[in-house]
Amino acid sequence: MMRMLGHAIAAAVSVIFLFPYLWMASSAFRSTRAVLTAPLRLWPESFDLDGFTAILRIGDLSLWRALGNSLLITGASTALAVLVAALGAYAISRRPKAAAFRLLRYGFLLTMIYPYMLLVIPVYIVVYKLGLLGGYAGIILFLALGPVQFFLFEQFFRTLPGEVIEAATIDGASEAAILFRIVLPMARPVVATVAIITFLLNWAQWFPVLVISSTSDTWTLPVALLNLNGELGANFQGIMALSVVTTIPVAALFLVAQRQVIQGMTDGAVKG
Amino acid sequence: MRAMGGRWRRESVFYLFALPFAALTIVFGLWPIALSIQVSFTGSATALRAVPSYVGWANYATVLADPLFLASLWRTLLYAGLSVLANLGFALGFALLLNTAFIGRMRGAYKLAVFLPVVTPDVAGYVVWRWLYDQSFGAVNAALKLLGLPAFGGLAAPATAMLAVLLAELWHHAGFYMVIFLANLAVVDRALEEAADIDGARAWQKLWFVVLPQLRPAIVINLVYALIQFLKTFTVVITMTKGGPNGATNFLSYYAYQFFDEARYGEATAMATVLFAIVLLIAGTVYALGERGRT
Repeated sequence: MMRMLGHAIAAAVSVIFLFPYLWMASSAFRSTRAVLTAPLRLWPESFDLDGFTAILRIGDLSLWRALGNSLLITGASTALAVLVAALGAYAISRRPKAAAFRLLRYGFLLTMIYPYMLLVIPVYIVVYKLGLLGGYAGIILFLALGPVQFFLFEQFFRTLPGEVIEAATIDGASEAAILFRIVLPMARPVVATVAIITFLLNWAQWFPVLVISSTSDTWTLPVALLNLNGELGANFQGIMALSVVTTIPVAALFLVAQRQVIQGMTDGAVKG
Repeated sequence: MRAMGGRWRRESVFYLFALPFAALTIVFGLWPIALSIQVSFTGSATALRAVPSYVGWANYATVLADPLFLASLWRTLLYAGLSVLANLGFALGFALLLNTAFIGRMRGAYKLAVFLPVVTPDVAGYVVWRWLYDQSFGAVNAALKLLGLPAFGGLAAPATAMLAVLLAELWHHAGFYMVIFLANLAVVDRALEEAADIDGARAWQKLWFVVLPQLRPAIVINLVYALIQFLKTFTVVITMTKGGPNGATNFLSYYAYQFFDEARYGEATAMATVLFAIVLLIAGTVYALGERGRT
């Protein structure tokens, strides 16, 4: 009895959580009129592609450009984030008592507590002062700094056996050689986890992208979606189609790497 | 002398490694925060000039005397409180359910369903929820009607808009809190539960006296994260309601953003500083209480 009830509750919750995906996917292929007549129907009457043709252009922006921007900005900021966090966390965990590093760590923590949406306001001013407004560089650099990356690396480097490094030092290896030939190869699984999580998180980023952009030329998919959704007399079917395009790449990546993602996000939160 | 030079060279490598990280932290963290505080003391019209004019605490006085700001502040605190309770309550309940023996092989599937929204772009999720709540398109009211339940006002009615936003945010965030609880539950001592069983403890007694105390670390972490999260709620508002209807979902982040959008940088950054102080105070207090209770 308990068993049946337990499964019934868990299954009902799961269906409720997954329903928006099914409804989004089905609505992307159903005409607006069809959705109005039968809002709950999940299998399309016929596969209507008008929604997708309608979003090939979103204002001045082509869908392909938005997709390309998403891939470029997410890919570049992920690569940079992994490199910067790995090097920074490694240095700090090798010399945790250095005054400059302790200061740096506190400064970083303070930044991460600052309400993100409100940080973007002064970041706009900083990017403006640096002359990076409207370009890709400002967006990519800003997205290359995040809490999960740093904490996951720091945690891994803290657990490194000291003997390995000592042995290499006695053998006369330089610090660069120790890092690149010994430590980083050992850190491969962490690097992969951090890269996947960063990609997922940065793909979803929209506010910094919107604020640092001066035209829609640098908009990513979520920004384009937000813009389309905010238009008067919005095209419902097109909005659902763009939601599908925005969601599918990350949903697929997550399903492939779910174990690593869940484990990594838990560790990143718990140990930070 | 040569030995010392070699040692310094060896040490300096670490500063080189940390340099990019330090540069990003300063340029996109500490400098903007300092700038934000500085701008909050300047007149908006001159904020972006090389030599801004300073107005002392005038922006703070304006902000704190603004009834709409104070209303937004209370609304934000209420919303954060309710969201924390709803999210952690749901996440804990669902984690406990998934942790029972009889869930068995389906555990992974249920967990995946609830966690998927966490990695779904929030804009996409909230856009879909906005239309799910829609009075004519929406599946929510169609489903309620099918079940013979009264219609839900959703985002259109001031009385229900906050609840509608809260539920959409719960959908997006609760999976994260759930996996934190699950990770903690995995290291809970089963022997203690068995001992309680032998002593004839009821299910709720076991939960309250045996399991919950052991979940303290997860509860503290989730409380801190959820408080920070819901005190600065923003994306859901800009996507679904734009603060409406009638200001019912105009929380602090969005209220400050509207000032920023109108180039009223002085007031906007003053609000940001106030919100930062509140977040720091509340999250810090909760964290300190949690740490103290540990020993």
